Amino acid sequence: MNNFWTTVSHTAERRIKSKAFVISTLVMGLLIISLMNINTIIDRFSGDGEEERSVIVVVDNTVSEGMFGEVLASFEEGGSFQYTPYSSSNVDSAVEDARNGEHDYVLALEGSFENISAEFFGGGSDFRVAMEVNNDVQRVKESLVTNELDLNEQQMAMIYSPVSFSESPLRENGEVQTQEGHMQAYWMVYGLVFAIYMVVLTFGSMIATEVATEKSSRVMEIIVSSVNPVTQMLGKILGIGAAGLLNLLAIVVAAFIGYTLSGDDFLETFFSETFDISLIIFALVLIILGYFLYGGVAAMLGALVSRAEEVNQAIQPLVFIAIIALFISVIGLNTPDAAFIKVLSYVPFFTPQLLFLRIGMDTIPGWEIVVIMGVLIISAILINILAARIYKGGVLMYGKFSFKTGLKQAFNLGKKEG
Amino acid sequence: MTLVIENIRKTFDNHVAVEGISLKVQKGEMFGMLGANGAGKTTSFRMILGLLDPTEGNITWDGDRLSYKRTKLIGYLPEERGLFPKLTVKDQLIYLMKLKGMKKPDIIREIRQWLDRFQVPEYENKKIEELSKGNQQKIQFMAAVLHKPEILILDEPFSGLDPVNSDMLKDAVRDLQKAGTTIVFSSHQMRNVEELCEDIIMLKEGKAVLQGNLREIKRSYGMKSISIRADYELAFLRSIPGVMNLDVSKDGAVVKVENERVAEEIFRAISEKGFVRKFEVEEPSLHDIFIDKAGGDKDE
Repeated sequence: MNNFWTTVSHTAERRIKSKAFVISTLVMGLLIISLMNINTIIDRFSGDGEEERSVIVVVDNTVSEGMFGEVLASFEEGGSFQYTPYSSSNVDSAVEDARNGEHDYVLALEGSFENISAEFFGGGSDFRVAMEVNNDVQRVKESLVTNELDLNEQQMAMIYSPVSFSESPLRENGEVQTQEGHMQAYWMVYGLVFAIYMVVLTFGSMIATEVATEKSSRVMEIIVSSVNPVTQMLGKILGIGAAGLLNLLAIVVAAFIGYTLSGDDFLETFFSETFDISLIIFALVLIILGYFLYGGVAAMLGALVSRAEEVNQAIQPLVFIAIIALFISVIGLNTPDAAFIKVLSYVPFFTPQLLFLRIGMDTIPGWEIVVIMGVLIISAILINILAARIYKGGVLMYGKFSFKTGLKQAFNLGKKEG
Repeated sequence: MTLVIENIRKTFDNHVAVEGISLKVQKGEMFGMLGANGAGKTTSFRMILGLLDPTEGNITWDGDRLSYKRTKLIGYLPEERGLFPKLTVKDQLIYLMKLKGMKKPDIIREIRQWLDRFQVPEYENKKIEELSKGNQQKIQFMAAVLHKPEILILDEPFSGLDPVNSDMLKDAVRDLQKAGTTIVFSSHQMRNVEELCEDIIMLKEGKAVLQGNLREIKRSYGMKSISIRADYELAFLRSIPGVMNLDVSKDGAVVKVENERVAEEIFRAISEKGFVRKFEVEEPSLHDIFIDKAGGDKDE
């Protein structure tokens, strides 16, 4: 047990003290702080003053006798543009002026209230402007028409009062996914799926590289003459995990500093709206279990190669699995009910992402969570037992790397005999 | 306390690496394991260390099997040297010795003592990759002995060393033996084995071809070597039955004969011829025995 902690602290310490670790953590932290303050930074560089709002001239040829344009022009709701009535009713000249840069857009209106048609010039690259303009025109038309019809307030209220809409689940105790809840889960799942992918790729290859490096420098033989290879392997996985956790912590701290500096209320909205503590706990548990599952395989693969340069080749299958899991979960985000997502969530290598996806997006029954978690825990343990045996044989094996013969040889070498 | 190896056998797939080896090494003894490359020395060492489990047979120290619980009893210098190239001498010895259950202050004290002994105290904070090969080997040796093991396994400890460093290491090994450490070592350099060991085992293709007390082996080994100096032609000796090899040079000849009886016959034959300036029957060198028994290895 002593040796286990010696290995953990040695592994973590070496990693944390390494220049690469310090620099990448610092760069990551700075990047996060500056991203969170991007607005302030851009403002500082783009000089003072507000952005010029673009101008939409309104050519009003409707029966409203210019009312339309005036009501539009009276809209003062902080949008990125502003309406101005055009001095004449000539659409062509307004468009011509826009081409000459006197204003940005031209909105030409004509027809009677029953049939108003609007043409918008200059939409081009930003479809959202046209969308907003369309809404505005619609609203103005409604208010002008109700005005024309001479409806009283009661009648107006009847028209505009919203319908009360509520949802109920079919099953008892079921939950209804609200749009907010859905978006929250969506982004968290998205985040976690990526987090697991990154953890597997970076830490998996870290574990494999570390093992291969100790093998290639031949120090491994001395180490395993003092400490059981299985203890050493688990110590390594935990040590690198600890360094990774520290890295994560640094990112959180950086995010907090960035938040404090920016004075934005981003985090408050995040915490109040997208933050669900039980989801975070599930995420952490799944990341940790996933790490041990993938980490065991990575250590095993690292033990099969003789030189650090061969690590990339050796961990390729693991990377493929991680990529496939990533693809499946991205697809699954939009169809969390699909049967294949349900089935695949039982496959240990996909469980961390897919189970979380189902917990976050779907209403997965409690017993299934327990069963799938159980499968994941048991397979993580089994994988590590198998990995340990192959590791034990693999660390003494040198020669050209080949999966088939390597695995078989290592497996036999690690055999407990007599 | 005795290291006892009983009839061990190790097979990899269909290949037999070690077969039917038994030996006993008493406390404070220096035991030599000889054999050509691939004879099974390293595999045997790995089994003693518990890195590999024997397919059959037992290995015990002081009556108990060696396991990771007793790892601090053993020191190991592997044939393939290996240290962390990027770590300083101090940092890596601290890590490796912590794995042997030592406390940090003790480790540092021992590091300084050994560095002084090897006359390289300035290496304490140097990285391994900055050291020469010979000096790396001193550190490697320290990694095997710093924790004062009861059993010390040295796989080719003197290979690749210059004579000065080689002697320095040899003295250290002798001192450890005097202090009561049981030492098993392998070497291609027969002179080192002759100098240091009382008992040896010689392996060929995983089997013991020769085993026992080195002096007795030499004395009872049939083959003898005779050097003769005389004033007349000695080539006629070749025709005497039992002569294995005759090496005539300017000032005499070296004759290898099958046994002592042949030597007596040669003595009679040349004393009939005339005056003999020198006639000496020597025991064969370990080198000769090695080539005779283990065959073909010309490492020395």
